[in-house]
Amino acid sequence: MDDVLGLGPLLASTIRFATPLGFAALGGLFSERSGVVNIALEGMMLISAFAGVVGSYASGSALVGLATGLAAGLLIGLVHAAVSVSLQADQIISGTAINLLALGGTGFLMETVFGSGGTSPRVSAFDPVRIPGLADIPIIGEALFNQSVLVYLLYLLVPLTVFVLRRTRFGLRLRATGEVPEAVDTAGISVVRMRYAGVALSGMLAALGGVYLSMGVALSGMLAALGGVYLSMSLLSAFTENMTLGRGFIALAALIFGRWTPVGAIGAALLFGLAQALVVTRGSDVPIPQEFVAMFPYVLTIIALATFGGRAVAPAASGKPYRKE
Amino acid sequence: MDTRPAEAPDAPPPPRRPAAEVVRRQLGAAGRALVFPAVAAVLAFAVGAVVILATGQDVGAAYSALFRGGFGSAGAWGRTLLNATPLIFTGLAVALPFRAGLFNIGGEGQLYLGAIAAVWVATTLGGPAPLVVIAAIVAAGLAGFLWGAIPGALKGLGAHEVITTIMLNFIAINLVTWLALNPLAGASATPGTGSVADPVRLARLGAGLGRAHWGLLLGLVAAVIAYLVIWRTARGFAIRAVGLAPEAARYAGIPVAVNGLLAIALGGLFAGIGGGIEVLGVYGRVSIPFVANLGFNGIGVALLGRNHPAGVVLGAIFFGGLAAGAQEMQFAADVPLDLADVLLAVVLLFVTATGIAELLIGRRARALVDGTTLGRGLAG
Amino acid sequence: MEDRAPHRQGTAADTPVLEMRGVTKRFGAVVANDDISLSLGRGEVLGLLGENGAGKSTLMKILFGLYTADSGEVLVDGAPVRIASPRDAVDLRIGMVHQHFVLVGPLSVAENVVLGAEPGAAGLFDRGAAEQRVADLAARYGLAVDPSARVGDLSVGVQQRVEILKALYREARILILDEPTAVLTPQESHELFRVLRGLVDQGLSIILITHKLGELKQAADRITVIRDGRVIATVPGAGTSEGELARLMVGREVKLAGRRAAAALGVTTDAAEEPAGGADAAGPGGATAAGAATAGGGATAAGAGAAARAGPARRGPRGRGRRRCGGRWRPGGAAAGGVREDGGERPVRLSARGLVVAGVGGATAVHGVDLVELAAALAGTRPARAGVVELDGQDVSRLGAAQRGERGLAYIPEDRSTKGLVRDFTVAENMTVKTFDEPPFSRLGWLRPGAIRRFAARLVQAFDVRPADPDARAGSLSGGNQQKAVVARELTGEPGVVIAAQPTRGVDVGAIEFLHARLLAERDRGAAILLLSLELDEIRALADRILVIAGGRFVGELDADRATDEQLGLLMAGREMAPVGGALDPGDAAAGGRGTAADGHPPGSAPL
Repeated sequence: MDDVLGLGPLLASTIRFATPLGFAALGGLFSERSGVVNIALEGMMLISAFAGVVGSYASGSALVGLATGLAAGLLIGLVHAAVSVSLQADQIISGTAINLLALGGTGFLMETVFGSGGTSPRVSAFDPVRIPGLADIPIIGEALFNQSVLVYLLYLLVPLTVFVLRRTRFGLRLRATGEVPEAVDTAGISVVRMRYAGVALSGMLAALGGVYLSMGVALSGMLAALGGVYLSMSLLSAFTENMTLGRGFIALAALIFGRWTPVGAIGAALLFGLAQALVVTRGSDVPIPQEFVAMFPYVLTIIALATFGGRAVAPAASGKPYRKE
Repeated sequence: MDTRPAEAPDAPPPPRRPAAEVVRRQLGAAGRALVFPAVAAVLAFAVGAVVILATGQDVGAAYSALFRGGFGSAGAWGRTLLNATPLIFTGLAVALPFRAGLFNIGGEGQLYLGAIAAVWVATTLGGPAPLVVIAAIVAAGLAGFLWGAIPGALKGLGAHEVITTIMLNFIAINLVTWLALNPLAGASATPGTGSVADPVRLARLGAGLGRAHWGLLLGLVAAVIAYLVIWRTARGFAIRAVGLAPEAARYAGIPVAVNGLLAIALGGLFAGIGGGIEVLGVYGRVSIPFVANLGFNGIGVALLGRNHPAGVVLGAIFFGGLAAGAQEMQFAADVPLDLADVLLAVVLLFVTATGIAELLIGRRARALVDGTTLGRGLAG
Repeated sequence: MEDRAPHRQGTAADTPVLEMRGVTKRFGAVVANDDISLSLGRGEVLGLLGENGAGKSTLMKILFGLYTADSGEVLVDGAPVRIASPRDAVDLRIGMVHQHFVLVGPLSVAENVVLGAEPGAAGLFDRGAAEQRVADLAARYGLAVDPSARVGDLSVGVQQRVEILKALYREARILILDEPTAVLTPQESHELFRVLRGLVDQGLSIILITHKLGELKQAADRITVIRDGRVIATVPGAGTSEGELARLMVGREVKLAGRRAAAALGVTTDAAEEPAGGADAAGPGGATAAGAATAGGGATAAGAGAAARAGPARRGPRGRGRRRCGGRWRPGGAAAGGVREDGGERPVRLSARGLVVAGVGGATAVHGVDLVELAAALAGTRPARAGVVELDGQDVSRLGAAQRGERGLAYIPEDRSTKGLVRDFTVAENMTVKTFDEPPFSRLGWLRPGAIRRFAARLVQAFDVRPADPDARAGSLSGGNQQKAVVARELTGEPGVVIAAQPTRGVDVGAIEFLHARLLAERDRGAAILLLSLELDEIRALADRILVIAGGRFVGELDADRATDEQLGLLMAGREMAPVGGALDPGDAAAGGRGTAADGHPPGSAPL
């Protein structure tokens, strides 16, 4: 069957745009469900993107980069938890602080590690892995199953998250913590520990999104798949200062849009990804200035929030520091 | 039986507080207000010291260069005040909406739009230079006001301002980039708009303060105006009521959405004027890329200043000095300039951390963070 | 009640299951518990009686590990124990049912019950096993509840059962219930006591905290009375008169006689002291607080009020200022957070006329959401989804809260700390929070702090708000003084209609007396007052007419003087009196079925 409409490349492009959003949105979900607002997703992604590149640069191995990226995400998650849970700082403000810390910190470290700001040296990244059989499905096969390992990881994480929330003790307690922490506390479970766990998981999931951004796919593969237009805002196997460009916030919007559920959040991330892919792959047919193309995801996010944000029901205790009497 | 209050004619006059007590109260309040910022700043410098040590530099040398570069001479003060000027505006842009319970992290975009509006007016409008300057500043303020009104309106639709203001920053930056490179592009070799004519630029303060300009004075005036608006007008009363207790305000018949919108739009107004003044006082044009992070740094300034206009001025001078000193530190001790941004972020990280001060001074500390926390989530 | 004799006997001989000795707890300068000692025998129901603020809840929080005592000791089975956290309490098999339930609304009954001790291997949560265990437990103790139901959808009475199940699931043998009947209908309360009796039969020991004398006499074997943080006395439940208990609790002789007396609280209002008719020692407990007397001479009971509407000639001497607050109202739907819409869309007109206190009681909605909704819809703070609100005959449905206020509608919201007051404003700012933008408090948009403070100082004094400092932070005031401040603001300017939603919730007795007297004074002045309350005793004490709301709609009206607890309870449980659709307006119905309704025998359903 011929893909005359170009659906395959469009889908592939959608997945690539949606993947970092999807990881971060799942990350936001674990944090929010524990009752901690995570504005810091942006910063967590950025720092992990950088840490991943440093790890990969130093070792020559993308897997080591993944490990260092995850470690950085965990660390930042623990910082956010320490400040907003243990020290009871305002969660939104401490999240904002982490974002600024990530921005300034990666700038500082670019100077310290690589000796100059801007863009890091190219590092080894995750090449696309073709899954035989599945990738042979007409039209969608190549798009869905000739992707980076990280994309497959995201495929697995969505049902896993659903399972964890619904079928494990941890999930039950996490949901309760985000709604009525007093109930968890009186049941003899530590609210603080649950929230640390939620935020730490959040940091690691956001880290996966960050690592995907900076080294999710080898550059050669990207070029082949997408062509030149894509490069201006695309995924390079290198770190560029402020390369997240608000994706952490868009992921938060996806989480809200998806009503704080894993499937909803991923659905919203895919929707955002599709819209961006449409603009990027089809936008060149229309003479729109590059700046307006770049604005598109942000405009879309605002529209999505303004249309559906008000109807969303957030975890009741989200944003409120928990204090025992 | 009739004890209705309105008809109680013999009620004694309310006790007048002696002036000395008023002053004492005010000073006490100011002193308490500084507890958190001081703790946060000390912690930030401690973290900074660890970072400097980790990069193998001499902490003493670095910090003494930092202080020298920020406050060590008239020239240093000039650079500090030059840096502080836009930060006063972007700090107010955070502080005023914060009083209405809204966290405006859109100062960056609002400042960009103010800058481009000022350049547009200043380069196209003819007439006496002082009038053009005023027109440019008004245009900058108006641009910021309108841009700030957008998240205010979106808030009414349920879109959280933290996300929408960030999104609007990216939109504004792209919009300004396009404007500066296309309709307003100048002839200069470096990309950006044309330059504002010299008579339309803000004069320097002189007095050995280097490039610090009269925009600083405008910043101080803006802070006074912000104070008066928040604490002396009926509108400010409404804004504060909405910020402290939206539900109670609604029950009292004070429209929450309208006052929130107005507050964040007024924040945008300040950021916009800040952008206009930065252009008229320093750069004379909007180059691409334009000066970054003034809006974001305003968040730290406002929180460090506990969202009080006087605190914002102090916070702006503190961060202005930090930025000025960081240049000296990079030069003298080879510590990257970005350390100033890191210090700022760390200050912000700790400045609302009730737990720290609780450890130091006990539970009374909780009252001290009033006015610097939002304590809510992302919905509604 | 059932015979409880077996439980009362023998307890003295055993080692107490629980003993507290010399427990003291201070909060700053305030001594909440002062050298308190008490004991609980096996299979005993111990009543803990005291006013709001007497220190009951603090004591129980110490017992449950939420507070730590400054001194004193707790013994379980005669051995000293240390309870530093709820977990310790649970390990000692102490369970607590808080006054405000600690339940996770979006989770199921079973999930709430097993939270923290979930069945399942290797970190998994076995939902099926959880539901089975909860069902077994419920059956064993006779608690009817569906384990798979979402807790947020349940009525207050059922939610309370979930709380009890939580304790039983953790094998509690000492159960503490904090004001368990505060939000229940009389029938639900009765059912609760039946359940508690069953628990005692199975060997549990129970501490019942309350300020309601009547039910305590019913349910408790012994009663320990606490006042001002000290144990005043421990008396047997049977054989102690309610008057005696009231005296012990309040610390002075209280008049329990007279109509409009909040009998169960042991409170008399000023108005009630005016001799006005055949009111006679109605007896405490409120259940029979009958008597046709009306305070102030001019007030009319509901029946008469209805007649007044039918014929203007009936207008009394204080007929001026007669106002009507009519509302057609429907529950606000999903946005209201848990209001059920069980088809209760029948439009209802509610009338409160001059010189009338109309009480509205209801308890089947979650935490009184129905009442809150009604008050908000009438006051204009939440738009009614359909229908008309009339004020003085004028349609004000489209007006906001502020405009309704300008037209003479005063509103005392049910939650002073989040709705009535801006806690971080000063008292002075709060006093003018509705009028700050008008002269003399501001001029040309500029505030005039002097005028605001002078005004506030006058109100603070007239309403005895303490401390009498207009510059004090409102949030730093005690509950009673906060409420006085709200009431002072709302009653300024002679409002024609006053909507008072749970005006005395959680305030001390002195403030209750004061607030009740104030409301009655407003009534005597000529205001129509709509009192929305979950406290039946309060409604009985103040109201001329009682309207009952249940499940989001009005289910009937009773004459306050003639209503029995049973009638009220049936109504509150959702049994309607008037079987037909259409407006349920006592005024309009004056000619017809009114008499029937007042008698409380719903034509369609016989009383139990």
